[in-house]
This record gives sequence, C-alpha cells and structure tokens, in this order.
Amino acid sequence: MLAVLGSVFALVAVSLVLLLAVDQRLVTDVVARLHDEMVPWTLERQRLARNLEELRLGGQRVLTAPDVTARDDALFLVRVLAAHPSMGEDPRTAALAAEVESFLAQRSTTSPGAVDIKAWEAISARLRLLADDLSVEGGQRVSTELDRMTEAVEQTRYKLVLNLVLVGVFLASALFILRHYLIQPLQRIHRVLSSLDAREPLPDMSSAPMAEIHAVEEAIVRFHATLRENEDVRLKLECLATTDSLTGLPNRRHFLGQAAEEMARALRYGRPITVGIADLDHFKQVNDRFGHAVGDHVLQSFANLVAETLRQTDRVGRYGGEEFAFIFPETTPAEALRLIGRLRQRLAETPPRLPDGSALPVTVSFGLADATGRDLEGSLAQADIALYQAKGSGRDRCVLASPDSSTAVPQP
Amino acid sequence: MNFPRWVVALALLVYLLPGQAAEKVLRVAVLNHSPPMSYTDEAGRLTGFNVEVMYALCEAMGVKCEPVPVTLERVVDAVAAGEFDFAAVSLLSTPERRARVLMSKPYYRSISVWFARPGIAPGEVSTGVVRGGVQARYAQAHGWKTTQFERRDEIITALLSGTVEAALLPMATAVALRQDPLIRPLGLASTLLRDPQLAGDVCLSVNPRTPELHARLNDAIDRIKRDGRFDRINSRFIPFRLQ
Repeated sequence: MLAVLGSVFALVAVSLVLLLAVDQRLVTDVVARLHDEMVPWTLERQRLARNLEELRLGGQRVLTAPDVTARDDALFLVRVLAAHPSMGEDPRTAALAAEVESFLAQRSTTSPGAVDIKAWEAISARLRLLADDLSVEGGQRVSTELDRMTEAVEQTRYKLVLNLVLVGVFLASALFILRHYLIQPLQRIHRVLSSLDAREPLPDMSSAPMAEIHAVEEAIVRFHATLRENEDVRLKLECLATTDSLTGLPNRRHFLGQAAEEMARALRYGRPITVGIADLDHFKQVNDRFGHAVGDHVLQSFANLVAETLRQTDRVGRYGGEEFAFIFPETTPAEALRLIGRLRQRLAETPPRLPDGSALPVTVSFGLADATGRDLEGSLAQADIALYQAKGSGRDRCVLASPDSSTAVPQP
Repeated sequence: MNFPRWVVALALLVYLLPGQAAEKVLRVAVLNHSPPMSYTDEAGRLTGFNVEVMYALCEAMGVKCEPVPVTLERVVDAVAAGEFDFAAVSLLSTPERRARVLMSKPYYRSISVWFARPGIAPGEVSTGVVRGGVQARYAQAHGWKTTQFERRDEIITALLSGTVEAALLPMATAVALRQDPLIRPLGLASTLLRDPQLAGDVCLSVNPRTPELHARLNDAIDRIKRDGRFDRINSRFIPFRLQ
C-alpha cells in the first residue's frame, strides 16, 4: 500500500517538477531572448526611428535650404539614408523612404517657392508617426515577452502550490496509513503480549491487513498455544511431584512443605495448631489375606474418607506405607481430638468394601501433638510417639502427646 | 557566442600573464587617412568613429590599447600574421577575409557610393579606389579602369588633377568626401551602389590565433551598443545612426 502510494506520489511529483522545469526553462528562454534579441532589436528600432527623423530633417533642408549646394548635400544624405540596408528591412520604412527620396529628388531642381509645402508636410507627418511607431515597437515586444514571462511565473507559482498541497496530502495519507496499518496493530500486539497468560484465553486479535503484522499475530497465537501446552505439562509434572499416585493425597514432601507454611503462620500470629499421624491397624494382614489390590483399595477408601471428613483448612498427606500425617491449623488438641473422633466414627460406619461387596472393617490408630509455639519436626516426633503409644495400647484409638514430655494421654 | 564570466576571466589571465609581469597593451591597427572613420585631427591626434569605438571597446574589455596606423591594403595581412591583436578598421565581411582572420560580429552595415560628373554611369570612366578595399576588388572584377591609392586623400588629389574622373568609396567615407570643400566645386554626382559585393555587414578583424579576444570583443561590442557609448560616438562623427 505504502509502496503504491509512494510510487503514485513520486510519479505525480516528478511530473510536476518537470512541468516546473519547463516553466523555468520558458522564463530562462524569455530572459535570454530579452537580453540577446529584444534589447538589441529595440535599440536598433530606436536608431532606425532616429534615422527617419534625420531623413525628415534632411528633406526639410532639401526644400528650404537657400543655396543649391546645401540642397545637394541634404539630398545626398537623404539618398544615403534611403538606400541604407536598415531602411529596407521594414516594408513601411522602405516604402516611405523611397517615397521621400522620390519626392525630394523631383523638387530639388525647382526653386523653394514652387514646392508644394502641404504635400511635404503630409509626408513629414507620416515620417514622424512612423518614427514614433518604431520607437515604441521595441517596448511593445518587450512587454509581450514580459507578459509571457509573468504568465509562466504565475503558472510556476500555481504548480508550486499544487506540489506543496500534494506533498501535504501524501504526508497525511502516509501518516494515516502508518497509524492505521502499522502503529495501531503494533499497539494491539503490545497490549496482547503484555497481558498474555497461559491460563487465560487469547484476547481477540483482528486480522491485520499487512502481511508482516499478520505474521506476528499468527506467531502470537502459536506462542500462546505453546504456553498453554507448557502450562498443562507443568501442572501435570507438579501434580506428579506433589501427589501420591495411589491416594491422590499430597505426598510426604509436599505435605511437609504445606505443614511448614501452616506452622510458620501459626507461630507468626500466635495461633493454636495441632499435628497428627495415623496408621492403619493390621494393614499387613489385610495385604497378606486379601492381596495388595485390596490393600491399595483400603488405602484409597481411607484417603477418600479423610478428604470428605476433614475441614478445608486441614491438611493431610500420605506419610509412608499405611501412615498418614495431619495438620490442623487454628485448632487446639481438644478440637483435633473431636475431629479425629468423627473420622474414626465415619470409618466405622462406612468401612471399605471388598470386591464381593462385603465390608472390611478397618481401624486406625492416631497420635496427636500440640504444635502451638513449637517446631514441626519436634511436634511430628511427639505425634509419632503418641501413635506408638496408641498402637501399644491396643490400637484403634487416638493418643495425645503430653505437652512437656514423651508421655502421651491415651484417648478412647 | 557568450562565454561564462570565469572563462573570460581565465582567458584574460592566460592572455595577459605569460612571459611578462607588466600589463599587456593590445596593438590595434587603425587607418589615419579616412575621415570621419579614422583620421589625424588638427592637433595631430588619431581620432574618428573607429578610433573612438576602439577606445570604448578596450575600456569595456578592461585592457589598454595602442592604435597603430596602417594602410587599408595591409590590414588583413598584418592581422592574419599576428602583427596586431585586432584592427579597428571597417571591413565588409567577405568569405576571403573570413578565411584569413576572425571577423567580429557586425557593428553596422554599409553601402558604397560612386562619384562622377553628372550623367556618367559607374564604370564608364577611370575610377579611383583605395587599395585593399572591396571597392577596388569590385571595380577590378568588373573590368573597370581603376587607379588604386593607399590613402583616401590621394583620391581627392587625383580627382582635382583629373588623373581619375570618378571614385568608388564606402558610405561613411563618401559622406565626408561629399562635404569636402575641395571636392564641391567639381560638382560630382553620386550613385549609391547596393550590390552585395559592395554592401553588407561591417566588422572588425581579429588575430586568428586569439579566439578568446574575438569572444571578448564581440561581448564588448554588445555592451557599448547597449550602454549608449556607441551612439554617442556615432553622433560625434556621422550625421545619422550607423546600424
């Protein structure tokens, strides 16, 4: 588009410049003609007018001189003037000079008194008029040439203005096209790139007419698609890295990370927090008796039950084998015990189902520890001790570690 | 032909500088016996239309000129040989002259005048002419009985003594001769001849080896015809306008 516009403009501008050059040449030619032809011609015309006047005065002497000698001298001068090549160049001067010479030649032999003065005065008047005409002819020609020059200069002025207008129109068009086809699409691309997010749909991008801009837009669409794919892969990898594949619960490392954050928050705000560890009772026998598939099913059922039963703010992760770890933010040990009690109750009410549909009663031992104002590792170790005490006390129970020692308080 | 100013300036430099520190003075051939064009006045000073035009041209060219009297017969030979830079002598532009010297642009046009007793046609009697002029060549070419003289005043003497009965002279010289008090009593009648061999463009002649001087001289002729110097000189010596 710009190339076409530029070409058209260049063509028109060059044409106008050529026209200007033609006008300028015309002016130059007129000036040269004025200098080389008109001025010399005008001066020659004035000299010719002067010679006509000399012719007239000579004729006057021929007719009025008192003696023959003077009349002969005057007539000789008249004849020289009449015969001069310059007098013959113009038909008017040639005819009049010949008439004057003839008139005077006839009268030169007669006495002055016999001359027809009226006839001479008529010729004399024509000589004066012709001299006047010749005197101004040069000026008239110069005026004509100057008029042509003025016209050419005027034309040049119009063409110059036209050229300037054309340049203005071209610049305005170029600016408009630049803005419409380049700057605005680039601004749109800038906005799209600034807000590009793999998790958000790609903002609408109207198809730009310029191939280069369109190519950039297409590249942005492909780039966004690639970002989305990468984000999906990243999310999958993150999920794989943080989730236990069997139960869908956070794995041990991820749980520890979440727990550390909760511990830090509780410590920062001086809020109560409780940690716990659970272990399925007699899980080895389940595996041995019903096989690993049933064991896995039991683990999944327990995990689902935990996820359904606990609050959204509670965290749970598979700690290892049949062990699960808990952290209860904003929760005192007493409240945690109530939660665990509800969980154990629901487990008792909805035991895992075997493939044949029969229920497989499962119990879980819990160890809880108050982690308020403590570190995670120590709190988990205390919960672990409490768990062992729960196991040692007959399983299917929850033991709360005592706050000041390694002893624990068993809970029914 | 108009040369750019810098070319003229360079030519002037080249023309004036070589081999001499002093400003060069142009040697100009002039006649000293042909009033009103070129003659020696009562004070012994060279003057006349052509002499004054020469001074005006040299002034317009910004150079000094030294007029050197010469006979008409020698003008073309001497200028062609380089004895003179140019000649301020009115020469009709003929092919023979143009072949030997550079002829300037015409500065006026002339015709020829034949003087004899009334009733005698040109060529019928012994005619006095100036040697080297187109009139001498014309009379010879037409088989006229002629006597050639080096100077115009010798023709007057010959006319008075009866050695010749007629004279053939160029226009401006004829006007002066017509008014010569010595000639008047003879009662000579004049016949104006406009034959192309006896009339036409009158030019100055320039050394053929100095085309740059030729260009400057042409330029100077234009200038003095534009600025009035030519016409003022014209009025001093000729009773009508030369053109």
